[in-house]
Amino acid sequence: MTATEAATARVAPGAPGLHEAAQSHNPADKTTTVSPPPLRTAVALQVAAALIWLPQAALIAFAIGGIADGAPASAALLPAALILALGILRAALDRTGTRLAFASARTQLSRLRDRATEAVASRSPLDASRPSSGLVASTLAEQAEAIVPYLARFRPLRMKATIVPLVLLAAIAPLSWAAALVLLMAAPVIPVFMALIGWQAKAASERQLVEMSDMNAFLLDRLRGLATIRAFDAVDRTARQLYANAERLRVSTMVVLRIAFLSSAVLELFAALGVALVAVYVGFHYLGELNFGAWGAKLTLTQGLFILLLAPAFFEPLRDLSSVWHDRAAGEAGLDALARLADGGTRLVGALEAPAPSPSATPFSVATDTLSFHYGAPSHPVLDRLDLSIRPGEHVALMAHSGGGKSTLLALLAGLAPATAGTIRLGGTPLTPATAATLRAHIAWLGQPPHIFSGTLAGNIRLGRPGIGTPQLSRALATVQLEDVAARRGSAPIGESGAGLSGGEALRLALARAAAGPRPALILADEPTAHLDRETANDVIERLLAVASGTTLIVATHDPVLAARLDRIVTLPAIEVQP
Amino acid sequence: MTMLRTLRPVFALFWGHDRRRLACGALLSLTTALAGIALLGLSGWFLAATALAGASVATALTFDVFMPSAGIRLLALGRTASRYGERLVTHDATLRVLALLREKLFRGWAQPDAAHALAHHPSRLLFRLTIDIDALDSLYLRVIVPALASAGAALALAAALAFVDPTLALVAGSVLLGVGLGLPFMAGQRAQAASRRRAHALEALRARTIDLVRGQADLAMANRLGAQLRAVTAADQRLGEADLALNRTETNVSFGLGILGTVLLSGMVVAGAVLAEQDVIGAPVAALCVLLTLAVLEPFAGLRRGAVEFGRTLLAAQRLGPRLSPTAPAPAAAPASAMPVQLDAVTLHHACSSRPVLSGISLTVAPGERVALIGVSGAGKSTLLAALAGDLAPTSGTVRTQPTSLLTQRTELFRDSVRGNLALADPDASDAAMLAALHAAGLDAVVAALPSGLDTRLGEGGAGLSAGQARRLALARLLLRNAPVWLLDEPTEGLDGDTARDVIARLASRAIGHSLVMATHTQREAALADRLIWLRDGTIAADCRRHDPDFSTLLATLRPD
Repeated sequence: MTATEAATARVAPGAPGLHEAAQSHNPADKTTTVSPPPLRTAVALQVAAALIWLPQAALIAFAIGGIADGAPASAALLPAALILALGILRAALDRTGTRLAFASARTQLSRLRDRATEAVASRSPLDASRPSSGLVASTLAEQAEAIVPYLARFRPLRMKATIVPLVLLAAIAPLSWAAALVLLMAAPVIPVFMALIGWQAKAASERQLVEMSDMNAFLLDRLRGLATIRAFDAVDRTARQLYANAERLRVSTMVVLRIAFLSSAVLELFAALGVALVAVYVGFHYLGELNFGAWGAKLTLTQGLFILLLAPAFFEPLRDLSSVWHDRAAGEAGLDALARLADGGTRLVGALEAPAPSPSATPFSVATDTLSFHYGAPSHPVLDRLDLSIRPGEHVALMAHSGGGKSTLLALLAGLAPATAGTIRLGGTPLTPATAATLRAHIAWLGQPPHIFSGTLAGNIRLGRPGIGTPQLSRALATVQLEDVAARRGSAPIGESGAGLSGGEALRLALARAAAGPRPALILADEPTAHLDRETANDVIERLLAVASGTTLIVATHDPVLAARLDRIVTLPAIEVQP
Repeated sequence: MTMLRTLRPVFALFWGHDRRRLACGALLSLTTALAGIALLGLSGWFLAATALAGASVATALTFDVFMPSAGIRLLALGRTASRYGERLVTHDATLRVLALLREKLFRGWAQPDAAHALAHHPSRLLFRLTIDIDALDSLYLRVIVPALASAGAALALAAALAFVDPTLALVAGSVLLGVGLGLPFMAGQRAQAASRRRAHALEALRARTIDLVRGQADLAMANRLGAQLRAVTAADQRLGEADLALNRTETNVSFGLGILGTVLLSGMVVAGAVLAEQDVIGAPVAALCVLLTLAVLEPFAGLRRGAVEFGRTLLAAQRLGPRLSPTAPAPAAAPASAMPVQLDAVTLHHACSSRPVLSGISLTVAPGERVALIGVSGAGKSTLLAALAGDLAPTSGTVRTQPTSLLTQRTELFRDSVRGNLALADPDASDAAMLAALHAAGLDAVVAALPSGLDTRLGEGGAGLSAGQARRLALARLLLRNAPVWLLDEPTEGLDGDTARDVIARLASRAIGHSLVMATHTQREAALADRLIWLRDGTIAADCRRHDPDFSTLLATLRPD
């Protein structure tokens, strides 16, 4: 087994170890398994289908030999019927084998994707190494797709290219060692041959892919700045520039392709010459000019034709393999990228979700005991042995200088990251991995900025939660005074990342989420009035207080106007950085 | 037929551009196929003929081995050469078409309506665009060339068989053409539905993944993180089902072609035996016919993938077609405006909404006047700027402006040299003019320190510069333009206080002689203006000049930083 084979063989259903990359990231994971059974069956079926050509070729040669010997036409009927039957069997085996291989590869993709998505979903938002949404989306939706052709096509074809030529050679050699030798010479040493294919495919397709994606990147780059280009009347100039750039890329790509195709032409040449030399050798052998090569006997027409028919089949798997060679690099890159996403990092506290929360929860008290948190080195804590006590229903402003740990504290209270040391109690219940999900279900969150999901305004408020019908929705819209915006937007989807919504509207929308659900026991709000003009900020403060009436509220803020409207101001202590 | 109508703009693009090269590529591909077929056929004939001739010494000595064996070698070499030529020409032709395709698409997307849609859903539309371009990329190489080569090979087989038996030629040729091309064609049409489901599922997967990562905290707190995870999985399931359906189609085509090949082959064995029994042909020609039939299926194998590709192509052509159609001529330029900006009773609706975003706005901006548009977002500030820039056409009323220059809210720079980014504003600008503009924007020292100065290349979206530097470069571009009217959309949003104040000061000192319309939320930006216009619900709620008492009241409502 080659190194790559070993690496990919580990990608098996249920196998915790994914890939070499995964292993290096996660040394504890060393499970090695072989190919999953469906894939092995699939490969076996495809190889069997290719080998059916052996009896078919023998029957064709036998029928033509019969014609040459002057046999009656009826003698060809049985071979013809057998050829047909074998051909149908061959097509059926090939179809089943191909489908099985594809289904197995596709299942594999789903499994790897699920695992990566789950890891991304449970990654703490405070983890600085958490991948960006763009990277996750392009890995999961685009790069991962390359795994399927790699597993479904490349690996069966590689097996075929290893087995089929050898079997055909073994069938030819007993009849004529000379013909077998010709084929062997045409495909000098198969590994050398494969290296040749690999080199040409690498040079051609990888370079070509890079150039193509470069061309797309150029187009997308210009489309992203379309407003500027239009405003400067530069559409025509940019279009011509785009064309000139693509033409330049074409010229440079063709230089590479000219060389790369030359090496693939060598492959073709060997294949064509192999067939031609076999035909010429056998012909001259018949004419008595080349009397060697058949183990001292003379080949019959049937034997000669049989050899000739096998010759193209000898080269076919090699040529097929070369045509999918680029699947390999892309597939392995996809596997690596998914393994990286699925890998480690800091996780949220507890499970991703709780069973449906009981709708009536009394307001939480909040208490922290020597709560500490640091990102990197312990000498640079963000929070250092913080003791905090907030009564149920109290409205508290958290104030600190920039980077003073306000947002971090909110995230810790919500269980979005584990504290380095110390404890948190919400409503008297300690926040632990076992309780975190249930506690979270009673907390409303107002992030900065709140994320606006793709979809409609109503969908953004419901977030798919059960039990939020039209009455709850209208009540929530009224509480945050978003009715007019809702009327204006109707059921039109909101633009990406809330395009078309103002900062104030986005915040009120996030407040409406809290107002629409069962009443939260605690509301955590992170700088709700930052980046808003005074009028809008005042408006948001009123809406926030309306939603928070009768429940506990903690607001991290710089805004003195907002802080003044709350019951109490807690100023986080400045932390002395130890040298 | 709808299908032809769908593909017409794409075909027109391919055919209109470089038809000789495209035809040449297809022809070389056919030559390769024919050489392969002839090589196997001739080899079979040669074997049978030499075997018969070798039976007696007399015939063995008189048999002309030169022509057939030279022919075999020639075909082997010729096939290699034509294959090499085919690959070069088809790839070159594809790359040429791709260059044109991208240019056309860019022009298509630059039309006002398309540009506006793009601005609202950039990541979804650009993702879709990438996928559709990929599909069209493969149309020529994966669909057209193999289809033509297959049809040519089938006709060549029929022509060769016609010398043996016309009926046999007719039957074999028509079965091959009908089934061999018809099957992939039908499968391609059928694959369209699955291709569409696949494309939608992939978009959903992507959008849900982005929501999962970006909205993670919101989802976790709403107890919906698990649900979102399941939504991503559901999108993958739908994608998987579509993948399996497409794979079923592909393997069915493969199966059908396999059956076709084996039926033709066994039929030819029987036909050869019957014709030989009737002494119409001998064993060598029978061998020739059988081996030709065997080899003729090879080019058809390329259609297996082509069928599924065809489905993708149809979908892509449907979505990109409108952007590829000959673009409407730009609307006649509005009559030259005496005033820098003149709006008369302008009302404007967004596409899917009945409430106007602007209603009955009349506004005149005098030369040299500096106007700040204020009001909560959604009041119509950006829409008004877009209307002034000519990006949005009013539903009613007229918009007249002198030439404008726009500073967008999000800094829009490009993967190009610093020079290339500046040249966008003025392609004929001299180095001196560019350096002067950079100096005015406070970026000259930074550019001078760059390794290649003006020729330093920036990454995608101007990557390589800090946010402040990028903003200054955009400002230099605006200054270089020297248009009478400047449109500024929150010109210092996202900059730190010092940079913001510096940018505003530079704007103020260079704005003399220009009219200025600016959308803003902050006092520091609005202080530039000598006239404030307060927009509320798409109408002008207040309009006051610097000496009006209301001016400072309005200014005080803005964000103070």
